[in-house]
Amino acid sequence: MPDQTPSHHVPSRVPSGVPDGGVTRRSFMRTVGLSAVAATAQTQAERLGDAQPSTEDTNQFGPEPGRIRLKINGQTHQLTIDPATTLMEALRWHAALAGTKEVCDRGACGACSVLVDGRLVTSCMMLAHDAVGKDITTVEGLAKGERLDPIQESFIRHDALQCGYCTPGLLMASKALLSDNPRPTFEQIKQGLSGNICRCGTYTNVFNAVLEASGQEPLRDPEGPDA
Amino acid sequence: MPETPARAITAPDDADTQSHTPTHMPTTNRPINMGKTVADQASRLDGIAKVTGRAMYARDYYMDNSLFVAFIRCPVGVGRMVSADEDAARATPGVVEVTIDRREGTYAGQPVGRIAAESKTALRRAMRALNARWDAGECKTEIEHVMMPPPETSEAAQRALAGADHVLEAVYSTPVQTHSPLETHGAVVDHRGDRAIVYSSTQGVQAAADGLEDALALKRSQYEVRCEYIGGGFGSKLNGAGREGIAAGEVSRAHGRPASCFTDRDEDHLDTGNRPSSRTSVRVGFNNDGTIVGGHIHSWGGVGVARGGGGVDCPSGHYNLGQMQAGNESVQLNAGAPRPFRAPGWPQGKFAEELMVDEIAAICGADPLAIRLRMETSEARKEMYQLGAKLIDWNSRTANGSGRGVTKRGLGMGGTSWRRFPARAEAEVVIHRDGSVVAKTGTQDIGTGMRTVAGVLCAEHLGVPLDHVDVAIGRSTLPIGPGSGGSMTSHNVAPAMIAAAEDAKAKLLDALADTLGEPARDLDLVDGRILQRGEPVMDFAQACAKLPREQITGRGEFSRNGGAQQHLGEGTSDGVQFVDLSVDTETGVIKVNRVIAIQACGRVVCRKTAESQIIGGVIQGLSYALFEHKMLDRNTGSMVNANLEQYKILGTDDTPLIEPVLWTKGQTGVRSLGEPPTIPTAGATACALLNAIGAPVRHLPLTPDKVLDAIEEAQP
Repeated sequence: MPDQTPSHHVPSRVPSGVPDGGVTRRSFMRTVGLSAVAATAQTQAERLGDAQPSTEDTNQFGPEPGRIRLKINGQTHQLTIDPATTLMEALRWHAALAGTKEVCDRGACGACSVLVDGRLVTSCMMLAHDAVGKDITTVEGLAKGERLDPIQESFIRHDALQCGYCTPGLLMASKALLSDNPRPTFEQIKQGLSGNICRCGTYTNVFNAVLEASGQEPLRDPEGPDA
Repeated sequence: MPETPARAITAPDDADTQSHTPTHMPTTNRPINMGKTVADQASRLDGIAKVTGRAMYARDYYMDNSLFVAFIRCPVGVGRMVSADEDAARATPGVVEVTIDRREGTYAGQPVGRIAAESKTALRRAMRALNARWDAGECKTEIEHVMMPPPETSEAAQRALAGADHVLEAVYSTPVQTHSPLETHGAVVDHRGDRAIVYSSTQGVQAAADGLEDALALKRSQYEVRCEYIGGGFGSKLNGAGREGIAAGEVSRAHGRPASCFTDRDEDHLDTGNRPSSRTSVRVGFNNDGTIVGGHIHSWGGVGVARGGGGVDCPSGHYNLGQMQAGNESVQLNAGAPRPFRAPGWPQGKFAEELMVDEIAAICGADPLAIRLRMETSEARKEMYQLGAKLIDWNSRTANGSGRGVTKRGLGMGGTSWRRFPARAEAEVVIHRDGSVVAKTGTQDIGTGMRTVAGVLCAEHLGVPLDHVDVAIGRSTLPIGPGSGGSMTSHNVAPAMIAAAEDAKAKLLDALADTLGEPARDLDLVDGRILQRGEPVMDFAQACAKLPREQITGRGEFSRNGGAQQHLGEGTSDGVQFVDLSVDTETGVIKVNRVIAIQACGRVVCRKTAESQIIGGVIQGLSYALFEHKMLDRNTGSMVNANLEQYKILGTDDTPLIEPVLWTKGQTGVRSLGEPPTIPTAGATACALLNAIGAPVRHLPLTPDKVLDAIEEAQP
C-alpha cells in the first residue's frame, strides 16, 4: 500500500542522542522512574569519561556556560557553551561551521544532518554535550582539501542543487546511505533520503547523483547528446 | 514538431515500475548554444561553494558582539493585549531593548513590538518573562465567512447559458500555501556609525537597499546590501529590506553593534506572505460536442489583512471559452497577507480551469486532448500537447473511472504560459591585465542559476571559455540589476550583459590594434584566442598582458525603450504538462508515477539550470496539489500546523519520474522560465485523478479523505 504521508516523516535515521547501547524510550522511562537523579549522574559520568581529559573542561552542566571539546572533521574545537545548546547551534554559532543549516529546528527537514560516529543525525535534535568524545563529520569535512568527495562531484554534475540550502543535509544523508549500502536501488535511494526536504524541488537530480556516485547508471544523463 | 527520439534506459532492478509505466525516458530537446565557447554541459558556477558548505547565506553570519532581535507577536486572529510584564522582560540578563508598539492585532503572527538581546537564549527567556496575555475576539478565517455574492450575470452570458446543451455549475477551491523557503526571512546588519553592511536574505538587493535609508540613517552611498546566496525565495523575499531587515538596522544603529533578525520557522509560516486561498465559482454552458459557448466565472481570493492580491487566473486566456463573463474579488480575513508566490494567481486559476474542462469532457464523453486541441489559443501549445500525448502514452488512457482493481491509473494534462516583464538592467564586463574577467550586475541568484547565466552570456559574447569569467552579483553597489521575481531576471539581464561583453571585446581589440599597429577590424577574439584575419596570433592572456592600462571596462544596459532590444525573445513562454498517477481506491492515497513537462523559454542559456527550473516547478506544483495547506483554527485564528512536519511538503518518496523537455522550435532571445513550469501541475494532477476514479475532487489539496468521498459519491 502506498503511503500518502510525505516521506520526510519516515523515521529513516537514528534518533539523536541515543547511545550505542540502544536506550529505547521505554527503558529510558523505566530508568527515570527508578531514580532520575542517579540516571542523570551516571550519564554525566559517562559523558566525562568519553571526553578528552582536561582540567579546563566543564565538570558540571549549567546553569552557566561551560567549556567542552568537540571533535569535528578531525579537529578538536574547544567551545564555551550554554548546556542547552544543540549540536547544530554549537556547529553554527560557536565553531563557525555554517555549512550545517538551521531550517526547522525540530528534526523535520534534515537540513542540519551531520554524521556522529558515522551515523546520520539531525544535529538540531542532539545536545552538543551528547556529542562530546564522538567523531562529528559536517559538510565541510566531506572534501579532502580541494579534492571533492565523489558524491559532491556527482551533485554538481547532475545539478542536484538550486538555492543550495538543503544541499549540505542531502549530501550528508547521501553519504550515510552509501556507506550503509554502496549500491542502493532507486527505491532505496528515495527511502534513504526521505528525511530531507528540498523546497526548490531538486529530488530527481539528487536520485541521479546518488545513482551515479554509486557506480550505477543514472536515469538521465545531464550531459547527454542533443536529440 | 521537433524530433524527440526516446532513449531506452534500463530501470534499476527493483524500481517500482508498474507495468503500464514506460521505463524509457525521452531525452530533452537539447538546445545548442549560439557560440562554441560554452559547452551545453556547463555546470552551475557556484556548485562547489554550495556542496562544500562554503556558500555563506545571510542567516549564516554570526558576528562577534552581535545582538539578536525578535518580534513580539499577536497569537490570535483578533486579539487585545491585556497585560505584559515589560519590566521583567527588560530585567532579563542580556536584554538591551523591549518595545511594545501596539496592543491589539488583526491576525495571528502580527508583530506588535520587539525585543533585542545579546543571545538567542536571552531572547527566549525575555519573551517568557514578558508573559503577554491576550484576549481573543471573533475572527474570520475562511473566504466563505466574508465573501460577497458574485455580480449579476450579464445578458450576453445569460444568452450563452440559455442556448447551451448543458450547463456545469461547480465551485473549486485552493488553500493557502506558504512559501516556506528553507532559509527564513531576515537580515544581519553591521552598522559602524558612518557606514554599514547589510547581509540580507532578499530577492532584490537594490530594493532592499532602497528600503533601509531611514532605519540606518545613512546616505545610500554609505552602506551596501549583500546577498551572495539565498536559501530560497519564491516571491516572499521581494519585499525590500523587510520588517526584519529594518528592525535589525534600527537595533544595530541604536546600539552600535551588529544585529541579527530572522524569523523562526513558525513565524515564517505566519507572517512572511503566502499564496492566498481561492474559491472559483463557475457556471459554464457547453454543447454536446464539448464546445464551450460561455457563462460566468467568478473568483475570490482570501488575502488576509491585505487590501488586494487575490487574483485568480481563471479564465487563463489559453482556451476559447465563448461568451464568458469573469470577475474577481479580494476577501479580507484575519490572516497574514499574501506576497507574490511563483506565478501569483495562476496555479489557483489553472487548477479550476483545467478540471472544469475535463469535467465538461467527461459529461460529453469527449477526449480531453481533442477538446483542448480544439479550444487552445496557442499553436505552440497545440504541438506541445501532441508531443506530450505521445511521450505519456495518451492512447493507453482508459475511460474515467473504468479501471479494474483496487489501484486505478489516471492521466491528465494542463497548459501554461508566461509573458515578459521589462525591467532596467545594467552590466559591466571588466578585463584585467592579468587575463581575469569579471561580469558584474546587481541582481542575485535565488537558485535559478542566474549567476551561471550571467557568466555564460559574458563568456560567449566576449569570446573566452567560461572558466575565465568570475561573476559578481548580489551586492547593491553593483550596476543596477532586476529583482528576482516574475521570471524577469534572465531576460532583462541578458541584453545588458551581452552588450557589456561586446563593448569590452571591442575595447580590448581596439587597444590591441594600437599596440600591434594593426587595424582593429582585422582582429577577433574567439574561444580565448586572438585571431588576426582569421589566424590565431596569441591567446587571451597574452593579449591582456599587452593592455596599456590595468583594466578595460565594457558597459551595457537595457531598459524598456533603450538599447540591446535585439537580444529579446518574442512572444510568451508556453508549455504543457502531463501527469500519470495511480490511486489506491481503498485508502484514497494518490501516487504520482510520472510527469512530462514540455516548456519553452526562448534560447536556453544554461541547459542544466533550465531543466532544474522545470523539475522544481513540477515538484512545487505536485506539493501544492497533494499536500500543502496552511490551516487556521477557525475559533482562534491561530495556525495549527506552523512547522515542517504538519505543514506537509512533497518529499523524496512522493517524487515521481519527471521529464523536462525544453522546447526550442521557434524560440528566439532569452525569455521567462521561473514561473511557468509550476502553473499547470495541480490542474493536470486533478484531471488525472478524475480520470482514475471517475469523479472530480474540486478542492486542493487532493488528500485521501476527499478522494474517498469522491469515489463514494460516484458510486451508482
